[in-house]
Amino acid sequence: MNTTISMAAKNLRKSFSFYVLYLLSVSLVITLHFAFTSFSMNQVMLEKISSDGRVESMCSMISIFLMAFVVFFMTYSNRFFLKRRTKELGIYALLGYRKTAILSLLTFENVLICCGALCTGVLLGAIMHKGIVAGITALLRLSIDTAQIPFFEVNAIRKTVCFILLVIVVLSISNGRFLFQSSLMSLVRFEKKAEKNMSFHFVPSVIGLVMTVLGYVLALDIFRGRKSLWLSVGFYQIGLLTAMLILLGTIFFISSFLPYVMKNSKKNKRAFYTETRIITTPNFVYHIRSNARTLIMLTLLSAATLTVASVMALTLYYPIASVSRMAPSELEFRVANENQINAVKRLVNQYAPGAAVTFIQTDIYKITSSSASLPMEYSAGSAKGDSQNEKILRDIGFECISYTQYHSLLLAQKKDTIADQIPALNDTECILVKYQPNADGSDESGSVYSLNTDTVSIPLTVRGTTLHNPISFANSVGTLIVSDNVYEQIRASAAPKTSILSINGKALEDNEDLFADLSALLENSPYLQGNSHRLHVIFSLNSSTFLLIGFLVVLFFIATGSILYFNNISALTDTKADYEILHKMGYTNKAIRKIIKKQVFTFFCIPFTFGFIDCIFATIVYKTGLMQNLLGNSLALYVPTIIAIALTASIYLFYYWLTVHSCCKIISKL
Amino acid sequence: MNALLRAKEVTKTYEKAQRPSLNKISFCVADGEFIGIMGASGSGKTTLLNVLSTIDTPTSGEIWINGINLKQLDNASAADFRKDHLGFIFQEYFLLDSLTIRENISVPLTLQKLPPKKIETMVQNLAKRFDISSQLDKYPSELSGGQRQRASAARAIVKQPSILFADEPTGALDSSSATELLHALQEANQELHTTILMVTHDAYAASFAGRILIFKDGNIIREIFRNNASRRDFYESIAAEVAKLDTERQV
Ligand SMILES: Nc1ncnc2c1ncn2[C@@H]1O[C@H](COP(=O)(O)OP(=O)(O)OP(=O)(O)O)[C@@H](O)[C@H]1O
Ligand SMILES: [Mg+2]
Repeated sequence: MNTTISMAAKNLRKSFSFYVLYLLSVSLVITLHFAFTSFSMNQVMLEKISSDGRVESMCSMISIFLMAFVVFFMTYSNRFFLKRRTKELGIYALLGYRKTAILSLLTFENVLICCGALCTGVLLGAIMHKGIVAGITALLRLSIDTAQIPFFEVNAIRKTVCFILLVIVVLSISNGRFLFQSSLMSLVRFEKKAEKNMSFHFVPSVIGLVMTVLGYVLALDIFRGRKSLWLSVGFYQIGLLTAMLILLGTIFFISSFLPYVMKNSKKNKRAFYTETRIITTPNFVYHIRSNARTLIMLTLLSAATLTVASVMALTLYYPIASVSRMAPSELEFRVANENQINAVKRLVNQYAPGAAVTFIQTDIYKITSSSASLPMEYSAGSAKGDSQNEKILRDIGFECISYTQYHSLLLAQKKDTIADQIPALNDTECILVKYQPNADGSDESGSVYSLNTDTVSIPLTVRGTTLHNPISFANSVGTLIVSDNVYEQIRASAAPKTSILSINGKALEDNEDLFADLSALLENSPYLQGNSHRLHVIFSLNSSTFLLIGFLVVLFFIATGSILYFNNISALTDTKADYEILHKMGYTNKAIRKIIKKQVFTFFCIPFTFGFIDCIFATIVYKTGLMQNLLGNSLALYVPTIIAIALTASIYLFYYWLTVHSCCKIISKL
Repeated sequence: MNALLRAKEVTKTYEKAQRPSLNKISFCVADGEFIGIMGASGSGKTTLLNVLSTIDTPTSGEIWINGINLKQLDNASAADFRKDHLGFIFQEYFLLDSLTIRENISVPLTLQKLPPKKIETMVQNLAKRFDISSQLDKYPSELSGGQRQRASAARAIVKQPSILFADEPTGALDSSSATELLHALQEANQELHTTILMVTHDAYAASFAGRILIFKDGNIIREIFRNNASRRDFYESIAAEVAKLDTERQV
């Protein structure tokens, strides 16, 4: 045992930088694990953010994911480092060390590394946990006594230690299997194994291409609206088919199509016989056999990561973005009796004395129409899809407000540019406020609706439609903006009327107490709507989801990045002799760096490109097929997706840079 | 005599070594010469080749090849110099595993930016001379040791370097493969006028050369000239010289 310890210590010292890498990656994983475990055991926090046990169940699900990931990641990197040292182990065996002695050496090293990583991981994880708590507290404006939360959660430490012990056992079993299954000969000559020469056939490579393209075409089919297969056959059937096509297509594409194309690209002599290509192209073809599996795994991993990130960003951003339609005013309610107005004004004045606050009362007249084709808003029974307002039923009809009211409401809501853009109306025109754009892309502009008052019928031509509703959907759907003259005419008739009071002002924003008091005053009226209040509700409902999924996405990134990094470094160390030859043949260091860059680039490029394309298509399908379309197809909606992709790209770039840097460092010692 | 390579008082002392591995070595090589370098293990032969071929730098002394002083070359121009003037064959056939034999031989020509058509005909012709025409589209791992070594010789010669450095090219070969390779080198020397510096332990291999330098402890201790002798006679005299060295050592 004594010799084992001294040998292990000597090894650690000898290949220090090597182990530092291992130590760092293990520490990182333990940091994440510990931070997460602390969070899921933090009763103070969970009580605040979870009322229905949703967060707890999500935590336990993610913790299973996380543990599976840690085991996978540690076995992968352990195997990776083991392979790098096979020759050394083979020499120990040649010298007469028993395999059990070698295994205990490996285990002992793992214990050393895990101990080191545990210390750093627990410390960093505790700090990270503090950060998460502070972040959530600030985001949700929770009142939490942070002194109640211990820096080191003892239970979490205990759990992490147990888990690491388990991981060490798993690693030792895996190492043992490797050692006892390989002969002495294969240990010593492990690195020298030649790749099998592969021939790449036309058929599978074409199948790969066709399947991939077919999958993407099928995804785009969703744009055909009602006629698309997604609707006529079924969303989930086609979804499954598309996913299968793309999955299989990707596999064939990487393992057959790419090498096939590369191999045939040699026929373009002019391009092939160049300093870089003559090395990189054959290298790619030669190594694809052993690389294909890794590449496919990485591609699927990054496609999943990107898609989850982008869909999640979209799902979270969408309700936030649509609050401007759900509750356009800071506060708004239906006036049940005139006394309420004064009471509310008094209350608002208490909360924001002397601040600039606008009160706008809008009288909405409900008018029926007898035209042949009427927009869906006319007969909508409720604000569908809006979970909070779905229960409010409404009668059919247009709900008319005047041009002047519309204009002043928009101004009060700080939508000045939109207010400037609305066209002036004459007495035969109106503007229709849409609930959401028509699925087939049509527009009601030019349609003529006859409004039936009790005395006359007023024919109005739709001058245009808009998505900028001045009043929340709880209080008005099928809003029609008419000229002031027509409005007066309608007012004179005996049309049913509802009064809405819209209150706006910067001083009222983010004031939950005001909203609560107001709600009490109005006897919990469902017609009370508030912009900030809506946002607040969304944030407190979703932030924990966001946080936990964000956590998973980060994990995925670390996994993909590290695997890419380790793989490239290992490939390079294996072929170091090749670069020596190139050096002797007269390749400059610059040219060698270029070759390395290109090879590393291919490795990064394939997973990212595929992940990127898959993510775009998945997002499109998700957005078109599964999401409501309150906001139209404005590009602004894709901002979070773009941010998610940009973030991914920069993380990939960082790992790319790191990998190239380390590779060049290995080679520069020639 | 038209000197292609001139070494003057070249010394190489590795870091932390007590004795120099090359000790003030001076010699000249004429254009078109075939030189054999012999000597005991550790006597400095590989070190000499490395220093002559710009892979390593001497501690002191000067080397000229083609009138160019190697001292004046920086990293990039040294690489260019190797690309344009030098060829290498090593004891372990240093072929690139992932390239076919044809691609391997094409690399130096590609590096010189020759047109693809010309590259292909040159490779084809040389392959015929080295008797590996039928192996061109195989990978190195599919060839025998002798074929691989001839392929790497072809790769070294194909760009018609001013000097070809060979470090124990026959070390890993059986006698008949060794003979084939040596004949190929001799042909290149006689027909293409390639200057060759070949390190070898083997008197038989050395007998293909025109002049032998014998090393001991970083010094050239003897020179043997062929002087129009037949290869057999030359072999005898080299063998005798090597035997004498061995007896000297025993004494
Ligand atoms: N990179 C190095 N660093 C330090 N010393 C070295 C290095 N390379 C060689 N030496 C030393 O220089 C001396 C000459 O070595 P060299 O490799 O030139 O011998 P050689 O004649 O080629 O031997 P062999 O026939 O065994 O190949 C030896 O004593 C060796 O130990
Ligand atoms: Mg040597």
